[in-house]
Order: sequence, then structure tokens, then C-alpha cells
Amino acid sequence: MDKKDNEQAAVAEERQMRKTVWEEKGISRRDFMKFCTAMSAALALPVTFAPKIARALDEVQRPTLVWLEFQDCAGNTEALLRSSSPSVAEIILDVLSLDYHETIMAAAGHQAEDALMKTVREQKGKYIAVVEGSIPLKDDGIYCCVGGKSARDLAREVCGNAFATIAVGTCAAYGGIPAAAPNPTGAVGVKDAVPGATVINLPGCPLNPDNLTATVIHFLTFGKLPATDSQGRPLFAYGKRIHDNCERRPHFDAGQYVEQWGDMAHRRGHCLYKMGCKGPETWHNCPIQRYNDKTSWPVGAGHGCVGCSEANFWDTMTPFYKRLPNVPGFGIEYTADQIGAGLAIATAAAFAGHGVISALRRNKDTEGKKEE
Amino acid sequence: MAKIVIDPVTRIEGHLRIEAEVSGSSVADAWSSSTMFRGIERILQGRDPRDAWYFTQRLCGVCTTVHSIASIRSVENALGIRIPPNAELIRNLIMGIQNVQDHVIHFYHLHALDWVDITSALKADPARTAELAASLSDWPLNSPTYFKGVQAKLSAFVSRGRLGPFANAYWGHPAYKLPPEANLMATAHYLEALEWQKDVIRIHAILGSKNPHPQTFLVGGMAIAVDPDSQTALNANKLEEIRLLLGKAREFVEKVYIPDLLAVASFYKEWAGIGGGVGNYLCYGEFPADNSGKPEVLWIPRGIILNRDLSRLHPVEQDKITEYVDHSWYEGKPGTALHPWDGETDYKYTGPKPPYEYLNTDEKYSWVKAPRYADLPMEVGPLARCLVAYASGHKEVKPVVDLVLSKLQVGPEALFSTLGRTAARGIETLVIAQKLPQWLDALVANIKGGDLSIHNNEKWDPDTWPAEAKGFGWHEAPRGSLGHWIRIKDQKIANYQAVVPSTWLASPRDAKGQRGPYEAALQGTPLADPKRPLEILRTVHSFDPCLACAVHLLDPTGNETVKVV
Amino acid sequence: MEKLVAKYVWEWPVRIVHWVNFLSILTLSVTGIYIGWAKTLAHDPSQYVMGWMRFVHFVAGYAFTISVISRICWAFVGNEYANWRTFVPWAFKDGRKNMKETFLFYVFARPRPPHAVGHNAMAGAAYLWVFLLYLVMICTGFALYAQYAPGSLLSRAFGWVYIFGSSQGLRLTHHCVMWLLLAFAIHHVYSAWLMDVKEKDGCMSSIFGGWKSVHEEE
Repeated sequence: MDKKDNEQAAVAEERQMRKTVWEEKGISRRDFMKFCTAMSAALALPVTFAPKIARALDEVQRPTLVWLEFQDCAGNTEALLRSSSPSVAEIILDVLSLDYHETIMAAAGHQAEDALMKTVREQKGKYIAVVEGSIPLKDDGIYCCVGGKSARDLAREVCGNAFATIAVGTCAAYGGIPAAAPNPTGAVGVKDAVPGATVINLPGCPLNPDNLTATVIHFLTFGKLPATDSQGRPLFAYGKRIHDNCERRPHFDAGQYVEQWGDMAHRRGHCLYKMGCKGPETWHNCPIQRYNDKTSWPVGAGHGCVGCSEANFWDTMTPFYKRLPNVPGFGIEYTADQIGAGLAIATAAAFAGHGVISALRRNKDTEGKKEE
Repeated sequence: MAKIVIDPVTRIEGHLRIEAEVSGSSVADAWSSSTMFRGIERILQGRDPRDAWYFTQRLCGVCTTVHSIASIRSVENALGIRIPPNAELIRNLIMGIQNVQDHVIHFYHLHALDWVDITSALKADPARTAELAASLSDWPLNSPTYFKGVQAKLSAFVSRGRLGPFANAYWGHPAYKLPPEANLMATAHYLEALEWQKDVIRIHAILGSKNPHPQTFLVGGMAIAVDPDSQTALNANKLEEIRLLLGKAREFVEKVYIPDLLAVASFYKEWAGIGGGVGNYLCYGEFPADNSGKPEVLWIPRGIILNRDLSRLHPVEQDKITEYVDHSWYEGKPGTALHPWDGETDYKYTGPKPPYEYLNTDEKYSWVKAPRYADLPMEVGPLARCLVAYASGHKEVKPVVDLVLSKLQVGPEALFSTLGRTAARGIETLVIAQKLPQWLDALVANIKGGDLSIHNNEKWDPDTWPAEAKGFGWHEAPRGSLGHWIRIKDQKIANYQAVVPSTWLASPRDAKGQRGPYEAALQGTPLADPKRPLEILRTVHSFDPCLACAVHLLDPTGNETVKVV
Repeated sequence: MEKLVAKYVWEWPVRIVHWVNFLSILTLSVTGIYIGWAKTLAHDPSQYVMGWMRFVHFVAGYAFTISVISRICWAFVGNEYANWRTFVPWAFKDGRKNMKETFLFYVFARPRPPHAVGHNAMAGAAYLWVFLLYLVMICTGFALYAQYAPGSLLSRAFGWVYIFGSSQGLRLTHHCVMWLLLAFAIHHVYSAWLMDVKEKDGCMSSIFGGWKSVHEEE
């Protein structure tokens, strides 16, 4: 009885195998198409591209992906687990053969390392490496070791032999928080740690997982890596400023600003510009793509953007609650404008003083002349 | 004696390395080391204290709210800020669902594969699996067809020969004891939990804009405006969505997680006698009922249990917390433990040059410091919280603990173990999942009463601050007691120090050679096959390690120079 | 004795540039301060306060840029007082002497300023720095402005500015330089007044009509 059931199951399975990878994975055609449509939106493509994406995914052989974690907080891994498009977690787990990922893999220790090295050896130049976390270069890289190897050496071996490396999160892309001043460990992003590697940067703290999926899908669909800006970020996700897509933008243009947390303007969703929002200097698709199944995003919820997808944002975008950075050499309580106004007033005072002396002197001069 | 090394320890957050000496068929001694260092406390110096939470949040991306909570509390404590009731309740909701979601992820995705052999699930009979599941709960997905589908999915995955993240594990290890049907059920729930967790954590997105790393925390309150008459603020629509998600969270915990936990535990009862550890338990207490800041209003009580003595509950005094660096890669006076406010240390790696085989465990061997309370190592986490609540006769926790003990037919002493730790996590999840709707009700009642306040603006402007201030913020994170200590001078951070759960737990030895909780718990762990040390993973994972945040550095003066090896 | 004679010093393009600069700097400062220190002035979203402020700022920015470029061109075609050599006095022997004497006059170590018809040497040198600040403002301003249209001609033309700093760094520079220019404006008006009263050279009125009273040495 059991045997017969099993046989039937096997036959059914065989039939399934002939359909698509997707249906076999238990993902309905409908969910799958929904996903493809969502992806074409994420990639900023017309909806008509959805069938093309679907075709690409159907035909593809699962490319191998290894996910390395260095000086990280696992935030990007967690983001991956929260992927919002339908069943995207399975799509990542299934479409790609995720051969190494410390946070979720079953194997540990030597066995885990073996899995990684096997991929590097056997699929040289074919696999995709994903890196999360920065790589410390100071003191021979002793500040981050995995399996007794330094992160730098591991990255050079794994990313150097990969088809391409996707740096997820701001740490992997640009060094992120470990690289914030004074950068105690000499942390850098992948591009700087592995010169010559092909790197796509997907910054964000953490990244929006939809952008990771979209990058992979872009590659599978068009057979090439997406076009990037000068900082290595795909244009489809980082091609426009938050400010230019922000739902609070009309209030900015109108001149309606939140002045205090919880005030009437805050409750009505007015612009967070004066609360230090860094939307005007941040390139990211948050207002469009949003997070957690498109539920919300920081500015939408009521807190300013902090510019987390920009290189060095920990130093250039802080203090988070002020419009401008502090002027170097002055205390944090001074804004650039206070200092500037002070300078202008001081100049006026200095020249007023000069004028008074000058006037007195002129009198003296004339007096002297009279005497003559 | 043979020395074995597990590096990387996977299915955890961060970089953990375990070295263990094996004698016969059990672990004689163990060393726990963290091999990654970022120096975030140093980075914080000189910055705006109001920004600190955003930095410290990046200490850990798994327990993604906890370091922001502790940070804003430390600044609020230093400046004497009381936050509005709405903000307190919103924080309770955020912390509560964080616990629930995080514990479920831990159980299914980080810990379960130590107990569940996924490959054995292929041999299971779906009909009998459904029977088994139905005998445990009335979860709607308990049908033969459903389990058959899961099995088919799994076998298709395996038959393609590329196991992805499931490759190279200890499958078929003799320490796996579940029958195939239980394995199949657990595997099905592994996949379900993956979907469930991303759904329920949308509460963080509603209240906090996104997860991981929600972004609506503020010193003095929250940045999510409350207004029933606004599209953008927290209104009835969003509150209702939270209610639905809370219901979904609770149902899964009651009908899937707890039954699975009990079912799996019943096959591994010998683990109630393994992995006990240091026997001292610390809990700061959590979930304030109001904004008074007093310890009495904490729903999970504050307290300490020493030497597994549940009859006496000791108070927690913050000045008794100190840290040793005798076996950690920092400079410091040997044998001297320093309070987080007063410590003086400087990082200095003295370990072997990579690539290396073994660490020199007689000397310094970890980036984690060794925190001690009154010179004693402490275990923190769900078990500590459960024990403190149990010892205090907590009206919600005690009955659940008793129920679980009676179901497993063991006494309270069974709690001091690897199994006890895993069970306590489930108990806590259930109790919090049941409590969460009450905080939502309180929030709704407050809004109904016309209170729309979410932030106390009095001390927002740094000009209102004293020239110098110091404070501490405590929080019970999913992994245990978390404390942040801050010194503010001239409106800037003069010193910042976090003593985090995994520092307590992954602590190396102190000056007296007292082992940290992981190290102590691993002693005596049986090993069926030292080449495949599955049992070590069980005990280490029962603590839910989360290492990124455990490694940090302190510099009270803000002007000492970086010394380089 | 000295005699005062009228002399046509500032040609019309110089005067136009001066007043366009004056008006555009004033406009840019007022709108810029609002953009930096936004105040809620609107009561409903149909108003467009910040929108207009920015629009006026950008238009004034273009006017200012054209004016500055024109003046730079004029430095090569205009009369001797407008010539580029006036702005690098240290490169010439006379200029060095003149600079020293003017400096001594400013610190009250010399009763009279040295003879100069157009800009005195110190003023000429100062204007070079002011023009450099103008260029800093123009480059940072357009680099920041161009962010609204990535990939456009404007953003490509000014993309190189970002090698000097992040957008926040540029923004900070843009703010600080505004204050430097305002400080300069104070100094500028004072110095002109000083020359006017000390030398009775009609410095103040010369920028309206172009004629200065010049000491004709006997």
C-alpha cells in the first residue's frame, strides 16, 4: 500500500519535473507570475517584461551562490529571510543553489568549510559570491577570522574566483559601520579588499532584499549584470534620490515641516526635512519598493532617512537629527549657519572698529594740519 | 587528549569558534572564542548621544531592536527623561513580537537541525505524520495531503543532488532520535515558520518602518505619530492590522511551536541532564507596565538566582557588574575587573597569525570579555527569565512552566540543562504571545482617551542637558540581559559600553579561571562521534549565540591612542 | 598740490556685472537661508513656498553664473582697470609695492593709501579670492542641483565636483561660503566708504556712473 503510494508519488513527481522548476517547488504558476511582475517593477521595467523574466527563470540551471559573512551583524541575512515578494525566500533557496551561508546552513565547522571550498574549486568563475559585512585590512586582517583564515584571504579566494560578487549592505559595499571614524580595524568594502573582482554594490542598512532578488533576476533575464552608477550601485534601485520619490515631497515643496516629534505636522505626515531627514542626498528606491511586503519605510513611518545607502554615511550623514554635518573643529552644538552668522557679525564688528579708529585719526590729522 | 575545533559554528549570528578537548566519549573541557571585532564603542565616542541607538542597533541584525532599546534607555536614564505612555506601549509591542519571532526562528531555523534529521523525513509516511500532528494540535494544515506535498518538495530537492544549505551536515548521525514522521512534521514546520516569521514581523514595519533594523526609535519616545484621523499616522486601520498579526503569531506558537517543542523534547529527555552550565541566573526584568522607570512595574521580574537555588531570589545591583580581560584580546591590568563606566581597556590581538589551527587557550583567546556579577559568571536568557519569574511565583509564567514539566514528566531541576534552555525559550514565547494583545488594548484605550503623545520633547535640544551625565539602559533581549552604559560630556558621548547577553554567555575564562556559561555547559557533553560533534552544537545552540554584539570595546577617556600589534 | 580730475574707470559691463552680482547674491542668500532654515509658512499643501524659494534660488544662480563668467571674460578684453593683472598684483613689482603700502595704510601705519586709480592692490588680490569663492559656490550649487536629474548634461558637467566630498560635504561648503561672502560684502562696502571719505575719490558713486575722482600728481 505504502509502496504503491510512493510509486504514484514518484510518477506525479516525474510529471512535475517536466513542468517547470517552479511548480515542482510547490510554487503555483500564479504566485510565480506575480513574483515576476513584482520583479519587473523592482527592476523598473515595463510589466511586459514579466513573461521574459518567467522564461529566463524557467530555463535556468540553478546558479550556485555562496554567502560570506565578515564584519557584519547578519542584518542582510535577516533581510533576505524577510523577502517580501511571494515565496521569494524559497526562490532564493531553490533557484539558486545556496551552497554556503553560515547563518542558515546545516553543516558546521570543517564540513561547512569543505562545502565552500568545493564550490570555489569545482565551479571556478561560474558561481556568484554574496558578501555581507566589511573586511578588516589592518594588522593582517586579524580582526575577522573564519575557520582560522582571515576575512581578507577568504574574500580574495572566494570573490576572486567568482563570476561576480554582490556586496550586500553598506558594510560590504563601502566598509559601513566598522569603517566609520576612526575605523579601528581598517575595514573596507569588497571592491577595496579584492582588487579586480567584479562587484555589484547593493548598499542599505540592511539592503532591501527585493533589490538583491532583482539583481539576480536581472542577470538571469538579460544575461548581464545591471548598469551601475559611479559607486557600483544598480541604476534600477539607486538611480534616483529618495527625496524625488518621497510621498512627503508635496509638503516639502509647499513649505510644511515637522518642527517637533509628535506635533500636528508630524501626525499629518508633513515633511521631515527639519528633523534631519537625509532623503535629499540619498539614492535608494525605498519610497517605491518599501520594506516587509511593501508595508512601510522609514520616512513613511515618521522618522527621517539617515542616508544608509550612501558610502560613509556614518560620518557624512551624522548627526542624524540635523540638516547639515557638524563643522570640523567646532562643537556639535554649533550649526554651520550659526558659525557663519557669527563670522559675518564679527566681520561687521571688526570693520566698525576700524571705521571708528579711522574717523578719530582723521580728526587728529585735520587738527594737526590746522596747527601747521 | 584530542582537541577538536568547530569554526565556524553555523546557524548563529556572528563568528564563534569552539575548541574542545575530548576525553573518551565526552567533552572534558571547552573554550569559546569570538573571532570578529569591529570596535563600535570606539566609533561612538564624540558623537551625538541621540544618534547612538542607530549605531548600536548594528551591533546585531538578528535581535534587531534590542540594542536600540537599551541605547535610548541609557540616554533617557542619563538625562532623566520619562517617555509618554504610548511610546512605552509601542516599545513593549515591538520588543514582545521581536521575542516571539526571534525565538521561533531560533527553534526552527537555527536549532531544529541539531535534533531533526531532514533526510530521514523522506522515509516518513505522510498519513502517519498527519496523525501524529493531529494528536498534538488542531493546526489546520495537519493533513496527509499537506505532508505528502512537503515530502514531494523535499525529495525533488534532494533528487536534484544539490542540497544547497543542507549539504554536508551530520545527517544520519546516531544522536538523531526522532522517528521519520516527527522529522517530516518538523521539516514541514521549518518551511512554514519561514513564511510565518516574515509575516508577523510586519508589526515592526507598521510600528517601526521596517525589519530588520526598525527606524522609529527616538531618545524620549518614538517617531511613529499616533492619530486616528490621519492617513500617515498610527490609525485604527494599522492597529487592526497589528491585532490580526498578533493573533496569527499567537496561533502559530500555540498550535505549532509548543506542540513541536514538546514532541521533540520527549525524544531527547536525556538532554535534561546535560549542558547545565554555571548555575547562576541573571535577569534585568522587562516590559514596564508604566513609564515610572521603577523595577516593580516590570512584568517579567528582575532578580538573580545563585547555585540553582530557586527558593531565594536576589536583587540586581548595577554596580556589581564588572568585566575581566585576562583571556580576551584587550590590554588591562591582569586580575582586575572593571565596571562598564570605569573600565580602561585597549584592544590588542595576541593570538596566532591567520591561518591558524588552534588558538592558545592558556593565554588570551577571544574578542569577548568576561563579564561577572559579584565576581560570578551568570547565565542570562529565556531560561534565566523563566527561572526568576518561576521563583517569584509569576502568575502567567509559573503555570506554563509547571504544565511543560508535567507534560515531559520531569521536575524543575530538569530546567538546568540544554533541554531546559530550549524549553524555557518556548515557554517564554507562549507567555509573551498571549500577553501582547493586552498591550495593544492598552494602547488603543490610551488613544481613545485622547492621548496622542509619542515623544517627550523637553530634553530633545542638547542645550537643555547638563554638562556631564551618565546613565545605563537595561533590556531583556531575546538572548538575555543586555545593558548599555553611557557617559555624556559636553553633549557628546564620552564613553559607551555594552554588556550584552552573548558576552555573558560566550565569555572566556576570567582571572580566577572560572569558565563562561558555554564553556561550563559543554563540560561532560557526550560525543558519539568526535569527528562530527553534533552534541556540542546542541548545547551551544541552546543558548542561541549571537556573537557580533558580544565583541566590543571600551574607552572611558576618549583620548588614548590606538595601540597596534 | 594734488588736483582731483574725473576719470572714466568702470566701464558699463563692469558696472552691470557688479549690480547683477549684488542682486543675485542678495536673492541667493535670502532664498538660500530659507532653504537651509526652512520655516513652515504654508497652511495647505496647495501652496508652494519652498518650491518658489528654490525656483528663485536656481534662477538667481543662473544669473549669477552668467554674470561671473562675463566678468571673467571682460578681464581679458576690458580696460586696464578691469584687466586680470589687477587681480594678481603680487606678480608685478609695482603691485607688490602697492600692496605693502596699502596694507600699512589699513593698519594705520601710513597716513595715506598709495596712489591707485582702479582697485588698490589689496582689493585686487581680495577679489581674486572672492571670485574663487564664487566659483566654489557655482560648482557646489550646480553639482547639488544636478542631482534631480542623474545622467543629464548638467549632472555630467558637474559630477567631478563630488571628488571633493559627499553631497553633505558640498552642502556644508555651500552654506559656509555663503557666510564668507556675506562677511566679504560687509568689508567691501566699508572699504569703499573708507576710500570715499579718505581719498574723496568718489569711490561709492563710481560704481553707479563709472567716473572716479583721481588725484593727479603734479
